[in-house]
Amino acid sequence: MKRNVSRQLAHLSDEALVLMAARSEESALAELYDRYGRAAYGLALRVLRDPALAEDAVQEAFLALWRTAARFVPERSKASTWILTLVHRRAVDTVRREQRRRADSLEGAPEPSVEGVDEDAWLRLQRERVQAALRSLPDAQREALELAYYGGYSQSELAERLGQPLGTIKSRMFSGLAGMRELLGEPGMEVSWTSTT
Amino acid sequence: MDLHDLTAAYALDALDPAEAEAYEAHLSQCEQCREQLAELSESAAGLAFATVAPAPPPRLRVAILDAAAAERSNVVPLRPRRWMPRALAVAAAAAACVAVGFAVSALRPGATHVTAAVLVAPDRTARLQISGLAPPPHGKTYEAWIIPTGGAAPRPAGLFAGRAVTLRGTLPPHATVAVTLEPAGGSTAPTMPILLSATT
Repeated sequence: MKRNVSRQLAHLSDEALVLMAARSEESALAELYDRYGRAAYGLALRVLRDPALAEDAVQEAFLALWRTAARFVPERSKASTWILTLVHRRAVDTVRREQRRRADSLEGAPEPSVEGVDEDAWLRLQRERVQAALRSLPDAQREALELAYYGGYSQSELAERLGQPLGTIKSRMFSGLAGMRELLGEPGMEVSWTSTT
Repeated sequence: MDLHDLTAAYALDALDPAEAEAYEAHLSQCEQCREQLAELSESAAGLAFATVAPAPPPRLRVAILDAAAAERSNVVPLRPRRWMPRALAVAAAAAACVAVGFAVSALRPGATHVTAAVLVAPDRTARLQISGLAPPPHGKTYEAWIIPTGGAAPRPAGLFAGRAVTLRGTLPPHATVAVTLEPAGGSTAPTMPILLSATT
């Protein structure tokens, strides 16, 4: 996350910033972008494998946030979840439209090296936590999550590709996400802009 | 098709358009699925942080903010017109949250997010609105404070039960609005910790 010289809104929670964005406060949108633009772009690039398409997906997602911020319900979801959901949905829509989906799981296409990537400490911590959680899932669950979330495959496509019944795929995706929740939900590990209980 | 078991796939955007539409229709009628979807979506969004990528080009930020500014007139304000939204704040950014977060958590078991808004009218009267704060414990009250810039003492600005209060007096420019928990009847100086604060 690139920190601007003046971040007058830095003390506000993500959810408060969304409320401000709902009132057309551009500075709130800018602050949300400064917090999540990088993760959003990383996600879109991972799904789309094309910088120009990734930029489009991120821009569309942040403009969707801008237009629909008034409908955000903080009791229902974290703002960061909502923003990344908007980005992911657009990236997946595009990848399906463009037929650009990745043919391989993680093993087939190694991640870009971390070296040389100028990165915020908070983002690095988040990445290490999530990667560790993913690694500790059973292989079949991790594979289902990665192919669905990063690869943009639908559950039916996954069933066909992996030669498994649809029910097995559903069950792997559910167990994988529930497992991630357990692994990431450890007390004291959560890094959040709001106070939560 | 059993719609209940599509929640994880929906959270991962792994449904075909027809399935997604059917699931969304189901969602409007099933509280259990809404709760589960909220949880699984959070896990799914967490996967976004596992990626490694270069920073987006600076032009992306510019393009987004320019496009947003161009659309600005289309956004409908939520609040009554007579209140000009001036600043919003909330409970505690994580960094400042060590004491604050603990206090807030202790006060409202089971609560989720606390959000608060300070709405400043043109005549500098102001109203504080809060969502997600539990009622004060027996014998206690929430008290709002106006803290002017320049080191002046916090000024008591009204007692309330946690949802909304019209602040007593007017709000000096750039003043901070804060909330503390006080004994019933209120105090003349804030009792630490400050639960919420917003600089306007």
